[in-house]
Amino acid sequence: MIHLSSFILCLTGFAALAFAMDRPQHDLFGRSLPAPATVALRVGGAASLLGALGLLVTWQGWGLGLVMFSGHTSLGAGLVHGALIVQGRRAARPN
Amino acid sequence: MKTDQQARPDGRGLRQSMSDLHTWVGLLLGWVLYAMFLTGTVSYFKDELSQWMRPELPAQSGVPDQAVVAQRVADELVTLVPGSPQWSLRLPDARNNSVYAFWRTAGAAPGQRGFGEGNFDPATGQTVSSRATLGGDFFYRFHFQFHYMPVVWGRWIAGIAAMFMLVAIVSGVITHKKIFVDFFTFRWGKGQRSWLDAHNALSVFGLPFHAMITYTGLVTLMALYMPWGQQAGIKTAADRQQLNAELSAFIQPGKPSGEAAPLASIEEMVRHAQERWGRDGVGRVTATHPGDAAARVAVARGDGGRVSMSPQYLEFEGTTGKLLAVHEGVGAAAETRGVLYALHLGRFSDSVTRWLYFLVSLAGTAMVGTGLVMWTVKRRQKLPDPARPHIGFHVVERLNIASIAGLSVAMAAFLWANRLLPETLADRANWEIHSFFIVWALTLLHGVLRPAKKAWVEQLWLAAALLALLPVLNAATTHRPFWRSLAEGDWVFIGMDLMCWALAALHAVLAVRTLRHQPKTRAARKPARETVNKPAGGAVLREG
Amino acid sequence: MTSVAGRVRSVGPLVSRIAAALFGGYALAALASVAVLALPMSTPQAVLTGQLTSFVIYAAAVIWVFAVRSALRAWAGLLVVAAPLLLSAWSVW
Repeated sequence: MIHLSSFILCLTGFAALAFAMDRPQHDLFGRSLPAPATVALRVGGAASLLGALGLLVTWQGWGLGLVMFSGHTSLGAGLVHGALIVQGRRAARPN
Repeated sequence: MKTDQQARPDGRGLRQSMSDLHTWVGLLLGWVLYAMFLTGTVSYFKDELSQWMRPELPAQSGVPDQAVVAQRVADELVTLVPGSPQWSLRLPDARNNSVYAFWRTAGAAPGQRGFGEGNFDPATGQTVSSRATLGGDFFYRFHFQFHYMPVVWGRWIAGIAAMFMLVAIVSGVITHKKIFVDFFTFRWGKGQRSWLDAHNALSVFGLPFHAMITYTGLVTLMALYMPWGQQAGIKTAADRQQLNAELSAFIQPGKPSGEAAPLASIEEMVRHAQERWGRDGVGRVTATHPGDAAARVAVARGDGGRVSMSPQYLEFEGTTGKLLAVHEGVGAAAETRGVLYALHLGRFSDSVTRWLYFLVSLAGTAMVGTGLVMWTVKRRQKLPDPARPHIGFHVVERLNIASIAGLSVAMAAFLWANRLLPETLADRANWEIHSFFIVWALTLLHGVLRPAKKAWVEQLWLAAALLALLPVLNAATTHRPFWRSLAEGDWVFIGMDLMCWALAALHAVLAVRTLRHQPKTRAARKPARETVNKPAGGAVLREG
Repeated sequence: MTSVAGRVRSVGPLVSRIAAALFGGYALAALASVAVLALPMSTPQAVLTGQLTSFVIYAAAVIWVFAVRSALRAWAGLLVVAAPLLLSAWSVW
């Protein structure tokens, strides 16, 4: 259960961080988001990642917690990255 | 040609030389590294693999009482290897349904093999009655010492490969330091770019793991690779013993008294340890000079639940069962080493963490694989005549086929051999291994004889077929087909079957993509924002 | 493309660098792992510390060798670091 929630936190965290960048915003919304929204995404994303770290470390201590955290972040970042690529290819396909 | 002495603008010069270093260091031992990565990755499930490869041993419904099992196997060893100066048992746990034991044989003549090993049934204490196989330990051992060569040579090769990997990682990071900043703004290009993108993505999101696993891999065998400090500082037997105690829970046999005396209750000693570390928390029981009045017994803590392999053990007087010493802490440097060692092996993991290890490690394997393929893709464009590549290119291309697609075929073949070789075959466990290497050699032959692209596609399809049919073969040759495993909740066998199908699907996708690959792309395109989404055209890139 | 002399001139430094990285780097790492014994800590801990750090030093040495502008500098850098380590290692061997 804690594994699942920290994974979801990592996934949403990286998704938020990705959408805080200019290019994904253009791909998805066709324009840059207003600056406050970008800042909010960045802060929210970072907080989400820290939340996952806190959750795992309080559950299993620093040793195991950090190992699990780096596993979840790797997988989360990989999935977000993959999703952006799939989305990009779909958008690029001539209709 | 490398222009060594010319002054270059600093940033560009550094990045260029790091890029060259990355390319050549990566290529030179890339094939070895790929094999190490893939066999290492599956070794995270070596215990489950071993269970699957010994289908005669029933699935374990729960961890048996370790104290009772330890006594049972210890009793068996009294009759099996009388007079052994030392034996050691690895007790069953959540992932192991057998007891692995090894022992020194009494009075082995010089030059004779002084060790024996065996697997024991926790329920009866007798040697397991299953087919002879090395199980998942084959991949595990191959991962760091290969085969058909002295163990020390293999370990040196693994060490050199790991060192190359470490340099490849650092030089790769220096070359592409920008990718950390624009990680999420990558676009998927075509041709060479898409390989580069895949390679970058796999490297970046697994980077902490890749760096960790490479460095900790070196740490596991550091005493072999860097013995100089030890030779300079450790001079007496007492020093050596002191160092050993920091590293391992194996107690060294002292002098036997020559006076016979039976061991006290092993069960009681393990009980004592269970009170300390929990019911399933005991890992290993080692006895020195069992049956002698000078016997000692060490009961060591298991690897579960703590990120450290530093020794923690209780030492008992063998004949009375009196607790002599509690070893629970080591020095700071030794503890650091224990943590790094544990990080590499990942034995502390619960099953979710183990899957994370497996997936990220698989990404590392793919990172090495895409790197190897990229070398040929990049160079193919620069060939004067792509239809007739020079010999170096040819060699790299063919070795890539056999070491990437061929390894999958060979590993699947190893599992097929486990199910197909007759149980009465002499030296059966070794023949499983020979099958692996014979098939691997055949894939190299096939890769040399066939046109490159065809060889890739055919071998990937073969691997997919072997993996997809493995559960069928298992159903036909054992009493544990998929539906029965499902009905009985036998997760090791269910997981194995599902994993085979998933990996078969992965290989099928790769085969289809290789087949469909359009060898047209624009050479060395920059990922400029305006052009990325346009269909690529231009220079011909033939891809194998 | 180039004459034999030209080839030697262009390949020579590269070979020299490769030697510096492989053997010079290892020698430096080995030296450091012995030099650590001079630190004020118990011998087993010092031995392990030396072994643990040696791979980092090796990797750093290889990067250094290929990062600097000439093969000569590469060797010089290794020697500059090796000198104090050698002194320290000398005192404990």
